[in-house]
Amino acid sequence: MRWRYLKQSVFFGLVSASALIITLVLGGIIFYIITNGYSVISLDFITKPPTDSMTKGGIMPAIIGTIYLTVGAIAIGLPFGIASAIYLTEYARQGKIVRIIKIGINCLAGVPSVVFGLFGLGFFVIFLKFGSSILAGSLTLGFLILPTIIGASEEALKSVPQTFREASLSLGVSKWQTIYRIVLPNALPGILTGSILGIGRAAGETAPIMFTAAAFFTAKLPSSIFDEVMALPYHIYVLATAGTNIEATRPIQFGTVLVLVGVVLGIDLIAIIIRGYMRRKKRW
Amino acid sequence: MDSHIIKLHKVNFYYGQTQALTDISMNFGQNRVTALIGPSGCGKSTLLRLLNRMNDLIDGTKVEGEILFEGRNIYAPNIDPVEIRRKVGMVFQKPNPFPKTIYNNISYGPKLTGVTVADMDSLVEQSLRQAVLWDEVKDILNKSAMNLSGGQQQRLCIARALAMKPDVLLMDEPTSALDPISTAKIEELIEELKKDYTIIIVTHNMQQAARISDETAFFYLGNLVEYNKTEKIFTNPDVKQTEDYITGRFG
Repeated sequence: MRWRYLKQSVFFGLVSASALIITLVLGGIIFYIITNGYSVISLDFITKPPTDSMTKGGIMPAIIGTIYLTVGAIAIGLPFGIASAIYLTEYARQGKIVRIIKIGINCLAGVPSVVFGLFGLGFFVIFLKFGSSILAGSLTLGFLILPTIIGASEEALKSVPQTFREASLSLGVSKWQTIYRIVLPNALPGILTGSILGIGRAAGETAPIMFTAAAFFTAKLPSSIFDEVMALPYHIYVLATAGTNIEATRPIQFGTVLVLVGVVLGIDLIAIIIRGYMRRKKRW
Repeated sequence: MDSHIIKLHKVNFYYGQTQALTDISMNFGQNRVTALIGPSGCGKSTLLRLLNRMNDLIDGTKVEGEILFEGRNIYAPNIDPVEIRRKVGMVFQKPNPFPKTIYNNISYGPKLTGVTVADMDSLVEQSLRQAVLWDEVKDILNKSAMNLSGGQQQRLCIARALAMKPDVLLMDEPTSALDPISTAKIEELIEELKKDYTIIIVTHNMQQAARISDETAFFYLGNLVEYNKTEKIFTNPDVKQTEDYITGRFG
């Protein structure tokens, strides 16, 4: 009896310790970024372009660029992802072909992001002649997050009770209307929850946009989706590796990292708010 | 039993390799209540779901034979199952209202199936009255249907089916998830609905079949063992197996 209690407390201690370590590491990273980066954060930093070979000034074009690219990636990844998931869960006959497609999607999720970048360069930038642009970068990022969105959407669609589908179909409502009016609205909170992960990843990736969208430096804001943009992750990479005076840009690097984390959290927050709003309406 | 709204002729049904129904021939009378009884897995629910083509939703099923609804074979290639389901409504074992308002639960079907409804409000009221739910919900039509009790939800599901103005109402153990008082209400309701609709009900509850149905069909292992007037089945069945089941000797 004693022994069992002892074992229980040992295991309980181990799992608590793991949770604590994770939290500490995360907290440590954030603390480190904030302490090193907060000094450069100012209104000018987020509203002005870089100056003096990027050793002074702000990072406004990179913030705007990252927002454009992320929104573009969502605009491409979400519809395609949800549509694919609807096909896989609602229409396709479950069997060998669907299994192969699902394995393919899972493999896609494991492909290194630089491969997506090269694909984007070869296909969108060169073959389709989009050039290095918001469009090419958004498409590349959209494809990168597609597996995450498909996976999340599949889970969310499957979690909608089968009885809802049956009830709707038994009324003589067509399959598409059933999906559109009943299944999809009830799956949307779940779809968004899962997609948040993908969206955060899209905002923070460097490799996929390196060859497809990101500019080393451009002070002007993009005027069309065929323009190049600066982007926060790439800007950090540039400051840390390719600047003329890397040491002088150190505080700006940390500031940029802080802003990037803030932007990603901001995008997540919007999705969380939308999800919370929709969840309040969902009850079964 | 003069007019038969549904006629089955030598119907076989398979889930993949497994035969679930064997050689079923039977007719369902118009404006009658027919009860389908039998032990679990005997095929009675499968048969019910054949009548509005709900078995189509399951991959790898096969139907043989003829099922005529108002004279048309509903498994003929030119028949749209969606069309059939508008005429043959269904109520399920567990109440399954949509997570919408009470009003929108009722208006959902008519709105989406392209039926032109001159006055949706009165259709909603009429359907809820038919399901004897109107007085309980008339002041909360814009509240979520999920707040209703189980019995109220089931009557809402009946009202939802009635709003499509079907000819036939299929009920798959509609009271098995309900308490005795709600069950009694649903049974009274079936009695009332029979004037306007043909009702086919699957039930595990022998007393219920005896109380509410005009005809009773007893199934066993995918076969139709006996089909007769309810009174006859429950007092003097022709087949020994039927008697054994009804008296509780097996099942």
